[in-house]
Amino acid sequence: MSTGPGLQGSGTTTDRLAFTEGALIEAARAGDKRAFERLYRLHSGKVMGLCLRMTRRRDVAEDCVQQTFIRAWRNLDAFEGRSAFSTWLHRIAVNEVLSHARNHGTRSESDEEAVAEADTAPQAFPDGHDTSDVMDVERALATLPEGSRHVVVLQAIYGYSHEEVAQMLGIAVGTCKAQLHRGRRLLRERMGLPEASDE
Amino acid sequence: MSESRRDPLDELLARVPREVAPERDLWPAIRAGIEAEPRPAERARGGAHPRWFQLAAGVLLVLASSLTTYVLTRQSLQQEAAQIARETLPAPSLTATPASFGLAPEALGVEYVQTRAELDKRFEQRLATLPPVTRAKVERNLAEIRKASSEIAAALAENPSDPLLQELLLSTYRNEIRLLTDVSQLPSTSTRVDL
Repeated sequence: MSTGPGLQGSGTTTDRLAFTEGALIEAARAGDKRAFERLYRLHSGKVMGLCLRMTRRRDVAEDCVQQTFIRAWRNLDAFEGRSAFSTWLHRIAVNEVLSHARNHGTRSESDEEAVAEADTAPQAFPDGHDTSDVMDVERALATLPEGSRHVVVLQAIYGYSHEEVAQMLGIAVGTCKAQLHRGRRLLRERMGLPEASDE
Repeated sequence: MSESRRDPLDELLARVPREVAPERDLWPAIRAGIEAEPRPAERARGGAHPRWFQLAAGVLLVLASSLTTYVLTRQSLQQEAAQIARETLPAPSLTATPASFGLAPEALGVEYVQTRAELDKRFEQRLATLPPVTRAKVERNLAEIRKASSEIAAALAENPSDPLLQELLLSTYRNEIRLLTDVSQLPSTSTRVDL
């Protein structure tokens, strides 16, 4: 995968959305803040989901989302369209999360607090998912060590490749694979799932 | 991730929603944050003032170059002037300035265009009589001035009401006229060359 998750939907819808998104990006580049607001409305949910799962704290995640879009505005000219706009935003978001962790530390929050925070997540999921299963996964994710959690979130939930995740996190591809392996093993243990043959 | 979709863990991870709506609307804070930022398009052009400063620096460079050329070539030009004995026609006025600002010659005003055309003709005649080295220096100077004029006029087209750009453009037009006039008047009564 070279462009990340990007826009969802059928080809026609995707094309239309991509066209609309492209027009919005161009307008925003020209200084149109309303166009940029629409881009924010289109992408804020996914960026928030990524930040929340990486940081485990809603207030921190919201700060990161905010900074992500401010930084995106500042650097719109650098977006060349070689990847999906959502992928570009996610890269910025990951940088914000890592920067926040460097500046404020990541150990101030206990796993209990993180799990409690994860328990609030279903309120934000007004969809048809089996809420209890999703809750279990969210809780288990929240207890993972930071390195493994970041890799699992980016790869297993958001669908980025080893290479993309390694680049986003500034780690080696081998480290990324090892963290994913570790994260998946811990998730299985904590969720009471059978061990996979390859893990 | 699609190679093991039947794995229960992958099944569960696939059901985790990617999107989580922020509890509060973050846009007002984002908007406040970007209000302080220059518009991307403006910054891409180097920002308004930095661009002007670049242009101003360009004009200063042209003027400095002109001065250097003047110092270097004055002596040879004076010698050339002394050798050119034939009478010349009175040169057009130095005071011709464009009536408005733009790239098209017709936008510069009739008087300016006519004066410049006449000066151009006389300039070319005088230029042809100069030694190759001196002629090359004069031509290079004129090309620099005209390039600066063109760049400033282009910037002015984007910011037509900007007084600094207007002044810069007027200044380069004056420099061009002065150079054309100086070279045109070279063989006449004065031997002074003020490039």
